[in-house]
Amino acid sequence: MRWLAAAAGALLLVGTACGSSKPAGPAVGSAQFGVNATGVVHFWDRNATAPFGTLLVKEFNATHPHLKVELSPIQDTQYVTKLATAIRSGSAPDLVGIDDINSQLFIYNKAFLDLTPEVNKLPDKDKLSLLNVNLTTENGHYYGTPYVGDLSMLWYNKTLFKKAGLDPNKPPRNFADILTDSRAISKLGNGIYGYSFAGRCEGCLGFTMMPNVWATRTDIFAGEPGSQKATVSSNTALRQTLTLYHQLWSEHLAAPESETETGATWGQDFLAGKIGIFPGGYGTVAANASPAFLKQVGAVALPGPDGGYSTFDGGANFGIPRNGKNPSGAWEFIKWALQKQQQVQAPTTGFEPIRADVSTPAYKKRYPLNAIVLDALAHGFAPKTISYNVTFNQPGGPWQQMYIKAIFDGNIDGAIKQGQSGFSDALTQAQS
Amino acid sequence: MSRRRSVTRRPGVGLALVSPAFLLVAAFVLFPLGFAIFISFTNWPLIGPYHYVGADNYTNIGKDSVFLQSVTFTLIYTAVVTVPIFLVGYGLAVLVRSNRRGATFFRTAFFLPYVVGLATESFMLLLELQPNSGAVNFVLDKLGITDGTTAWLVHTNFAIAAVCVLVVWFASGLTMMLLMAGMQGIPHDVYESAEVDGASWWDREVRIMLPLLRRTIALSLILSVIGSFLAFNQFYILTQGGPGVSTTTVVQWIYQKAFVQLHVGAATALSLVLVVVVGIISAVQFFLLRDTTTETK
Repeated sequence: MRWLAAAAGALLLVGTACGSSKPAGPAVGSAQFGVNATGVVHFWDRNATAPFGTLLVKEFNATHPHLKVELSPIQDTQYVTKLATAIRSGSAPDLVGIDDINSQLFIYNKAFLDLTPEVNKLPDKDKLSLLNVNLTTENGHYYGTPYVGDLSMLWYNKTLFKKAGLDPNKPPRNFADILTDSRAISKLGNGIYGYSFAGRCEGCLGFTMMPNVWATRTDIFAGEPGSQKATVSSNTALRQTLTLYHQLWSEHLAAPESETETGATWGQDFLAGKIGIFPGGYGTVAANASPAFLKQVGAVALPGPDGGYSTFDGGANFGIPRNGKNPSGAWEFIKWALQKQQQVQAPTTGFEPIRADVSTPAYKKRYPLNAIVLDALAHGFAPKTISYNVTFNQPGGPWQQMYIKAIFDGNIDGAIKQGQSGFSDALTQAQS
Repeated sequence: MSRRRSVTRRPGVGLALVSPAFLLVAAFVLFPLGFAIFISFTNWPLIGPYHYVGADNYTNIGKDSVFLQSVTFTLIYTAVVTVPIFLVGYGLAVLVRSNRRGATFFRTAFFLPYVVGLATESFMLLLELQPNSGAVNFVLDKLGITDGTTAWLVHTNFAIAAVCVLVVWFASGLTMMLLMAGMQGIPHDVYESAEVDGASWWDREVRIMLPLLRRTIALSLILSVIGSFLAFNQFYILTQGGPGVSTTTVVQWIYQKAFVQLHVGAATALSLVLVVVVGIISAVQFFLLRDTTTETK
């Protein structure tokens, strides 16, 4: 076995050497970092945000002949795995556009460059969305910047509200409203339902159900990343949210496809005019609807059980992997992408800018629904945790097991108990 | 000393001849295996630093409830599909073993699912099982059996049934080919003399064919059992291990552990245990299905 240990050690040394190779070019904090960089920047973007990334890269390459950015779209569900594997094997990209909720996982594991000196030099640093910025920090240091926003809202069809005898200017503001409105709309029949959700898309439901909980200013993660505990069983708002969804399902107020929707055709029923109330992202609705349909659509932030509101402050953050080859080029692109003239284009690809200064009267006139979404950011939230991906975004994960048991089986108590145990186990393993 | 000594007596030549094969085995089997053993004694995350954890990854296996459930599920799944795969494969082999007209067409048709591949067929079935749009629901709706909205893959029993049907369709072609080759290898004289002695078709099949096919049957069963025990594609595509973790197989859980939870060390320990278990199962099968007639000669 001695030769085996020696060989393993040799491979480790090679791997470590590859992984710790110093990137070429100026160092972070130097005057030349991110200025007139040359070469190629390999940029990994999620499929979901790639439309905005593609738009930015095209414009950047056209105006920056000294530097070329090459974008690779990565399947959303595979992003964490592929990036982690690439970092481990020493072949990380130069720049990542990572789901903001997964940023902490990589920051906690020291996989991204500390960009604090550069972020502090940004002229518009104070204009960046604080919530998104928060997900890029650890112990007061910045390990990335926001990239683009993707917030969840409650969309409603004003035409169906009118047909059902409801006030189209009075959207649901609490759970009782959602139930009452859904019952009235479902009575219209002919394949029309009050509500719709993606029951087999755990990520979609985390995106749209958790704000109902956060609206009460509570969460199911407690503590700092690395030493967090799950507070599933003590969260009353979570219990109420699961109960609401079970009521919507058991009373046949939600479209039957809600049980099997994997996210592939998420929101298509709402866009077809068959659904009264639909929780989803701006891109799902606004980017895919006809202008005529959009005129009959209203949006409101996701309500809590008895009022209040919140939104999932989703989207993406930029990060520069430690073993990337062109960090200076990556930072030059980031600085440019964060500028106002680039960020205001986000709605054209179905997203929200991550700057607080874009919502001008002209912007509100041009993108009225997007402006409503941006307003919801005032009460937006996204948990700072290293365990979101493993708890919420995986088939068979504790979140999916919990909501399936609650919504479709009607076993709320059992679901909460299983959820507490599942989240606790996942946190323990992730933080071990 | 003879100057015309055979080259095979020179140890240097022999070593030179086997060294390419040895180097390949060392590089692609022995070293990765050794490295895997090393990793299994560390926490080895996919990102971040690693450290030695002793035998923790092995001692924690018994506490991993999902792993234990996946082992139970995989054993049940293996037991359920192995018999139909063998019986259908045997039946098809009987149908196509003679060289009568059209035999080649049917052999190709029955073997085609195996050639197309399980991943492709899993995606096809995923589409055909969709509520309201898949062919399965369409046909059942037209026949008045269901209303066409059945969500087959979100109910554990329906999902398992769908995967089993798919796998039997996929794998019986390979069993057919193996058994057919074995059947065609049996001398025709044995068969003819039995016929002359008045043996019926059933007698010839049971008393001549089956005993002489023992080794081929052993091979096909071992391949089938190992394939089922290592099942991944079909469940990953069709059920994603759900609902919940009710259809999660052992390999799927190992994948989940390594590439979703990012605990490569723990996943490697599970993989090594699986290697040993599959080895034991195969050894037991070899022992039970060994050809005792050749041993007594």
